[in-house]
Amino acid sequence: MSFVPNPELGNRIITLMAALVLVLQIAAVGQRWIVSSIRIFAVQSFLLGAIAAVIAYFNQASHLYIAALLIVFLKAGLLPRLLERLVERIGIRREIEPLINVPLSILIAGGLTLLGYVVAESFYHPEETSARAALGHNTLAVAIALFLIGFFQMVNRRKALTQVLGLLSLENGLFLAAISLTYGMPLVVEIGIFFDVLVAVMVLGILVFRIRETFDSMDVSKLRKLRE
Amino acid sequence: MILFWLLIVPLVAGPLAFFLRKRPAMEAINLAAFGVELCLAVALAGQVLRHGPVSLGNRFFYADALSALVVLLSAFVALVCSIYAIGYFRHEDQSGVLQQAEEVGGRFGIDKLREYYTLTPLFVFSMILVALANNLGILWVAIEGTTLASVFLVMFYGRETSLEAAWKYAIIGGVGLSMALFGTILTYYSAHQVLETDTLAGLNWSVLVGNAAQFDKATMRLAFILILLGYGTKAGMAPMHTWKPDAYSEAPIPGAAMLATGVLNCALYGLIRFYILSAKCLGPEFGSPLLIIFGLLSMGVAVPFILVQKNFRRLLAYSSIDHSGIMVLALGFGGPLGILGMLLHMTFHSVTKPLMFFCAGNVQQHLKTDLFQKAKGGLIHSMPLSGAAFLMVTLAVTGSPPFSLFQSEFTILRAGFAGGYFVLAIFFISFLVLIFSGFLVHIANLVLGEDPGLPPAETCRWKKISVVGLMAVIVVMGFWIPAPLFRLIQGAVGIVAGG
Repeated sequence: MSFVPNPELGNRIITLMAALVLVLQIAAVGQRWIVSSIRIFAVQSFLLGAIAAVIAYFNQASHLYIAALLIVFLKAGLLPRLLERLVERIGIRREIEPLINVPLSILIAGGLTLLGYVVAESFYHPEETSARAALGHNTLAVAIALFLIGFFQMVNRRKALTQVLGLLSLENGLFLAAISLTYGMPLVVEIGIFFDVLVAVMVLGILVFRIRETFDSMDVSKLRKLRE
Repeated sequence: MILFWLLIVPLVAGPLAFFLRKRPAMEAINLAAFGVELCLAVALAGQVLRHGPVSLGNRFFYADALSALVVLLSAFVALVCSIYAIGYFRHEDQSGVLQQAEEVGGRFGIDKLREYYTLTPLFVFSMILVALANNLGILWVAIEGTTLASVFLVMFYGRETSLEAAWKYAIIGGVGLSMALFGTILTYYSAHQVLETDTLAGLNWSVLVGNAAQFDKATMRLAFILILLGYGTKAGMAPMHTWKPDAYSEAPIPGAAMLATGVLNCALYGLIRFYILSAKCLGPEFGSPLLIIFGLLSMGVAVPFILVQKNFRRLLAYSSIDHSGIMVLALGFGGPLGILGMLLHMTFHSVTKPLMFFCAGNVQQHLKTDLFQKAKGGLIHSMPLSGAAFLMVTLAVTGSPPFSLFQSEFTILRAGFAGGYFVLAIFFISFLVLIFSGFLVHIANLVLGEDPGLPPAETCRWKKISVVGLMAVIVVMGFWIPAPLFRLIQGAVGIVAGG
């Protein structure tokens, strides 16, 4: 006799974890310390890996296990490690100076979450009662919210390194969208995307380092020589 | 098998140059690799023309007429740039610019050249992969790959301005491409419900195109908008174009020429593939207005910046924004005529634009500035070849009659009238005329006029070969387009228009 997991339970677990991911994202918006932002990102990525594993377990989508392993290894382990080393080499711990103050930023993040739900609503077909449709609805909203908040973080922050973090959490939103909508992209594509993200962070890391060396600052608003 | 070699040649040439270290060896490898690449691309085009689409590895790689055209253009651009690069970097080396760049970057020796000759083949590899990947996910990975390989080309000189340009390029490109990835995921989702497959084939373009009519419409709409924004950013369409003038004016000339033609083609290629899907699913009425708006906006944004431009390298970048606008507009006008116009324009633009960069590079190396103000005019006296070529290519790029871009722009105009877009066609013409006049005034002031008494520029053999060779190709293309090339373009039009 084989044990058939109950998809209803799986959905509840996933929704709960997705909510946690969203909470972490909003916490990251309110963060003032760069190292803690990096750690929040690591925890968030770990949770995403867990979500992928849960989806894989409850829906027999075994290729998702590999994606889960990859995201935990890369985004929760390797990338935060690299970024923290970069912070150490640059020698600055407190770096975040948002353009908009923290309470207002969090308010905006809340608004963006709402927007995420509105957009996700258009994908919801109540007539489809399959587990996949229900799963998509809640997590997709969170994914779109992550994407939008990541975008907002990039605009709101002037430091080069925090912009990189914004880009990474934006990518996390995409990963969540992919696993909730379609149980992940085909594995080869997923690996390709991970490889690109890894290389992108290395490239950006080198750039941050060079900018820091040349300008003696990571403030990208000092990059203003090239104007018409 | 030919697809395999097309990919493996640049992939091997890059690391090989990294280990060879000696300048003549690196130059030879680069030249040989891209020479072979062009031959392979021609062979691929021939094979596609004779036997239809070519595929490899269970359709993982797939080349139809459209892919073959883009591969051919990428390989052509790579070869002419590698010829020019030899002369360009020898000059940079002699005048001490490379040493400076190395000091800024904290390194010494021949490292800068090594960086260029290692990265360029990898850059070309990603461009070829864009055209050959059947899987839309891999297509995205390859386009992101072109960004990653070229960021180092933008920050090549290590100046403050180069870092600024590279940062803008990487961040704006990164955000744009993440939108494109979202669009790709949504496309997969809308197809997923129809195809019911979790395998790789579920994202294969050749599979999707057959079933596109049944895809979920709401999802496809959002997917196409995201793709348009994403790959549009990569193509440098307004209002996501701001990275372009900086990146083009900071990268070394051969790298900038590849960005302006190869990468532009790749981004538009991605857009075209999704446009075909969206046209099948939603009808062309959905995509067309969006493409027309972005196309005209890009042209319109380029106009004032071209008219008042102070820097001739940035001038070229705005010209590139203008041309990407023209091509997207042509796709928006649609119909076989509009698509023919777009693909002709892509071909002619890729052939013509590199020469413009080469001339600008020669002028910059001679005058040691890229500002119009500091150049006193009369360049034709000190550099007769580059000056004449610059004037000629200006006429060619702005679409003056004897040259080929006139034909493609005229085709696009006809497509506009045929589609009933009278007002828009008038906008199109007026933008073209304004850009033509702006360009002509700038370049004529630079090239013509009294002799300011500059010493004659030394001319390197490699620079001469690339400039004269391209001039010949441009003049010939103005009057005669090889029949097989035209058949290839027609084949590609058939794919876009009818599927």
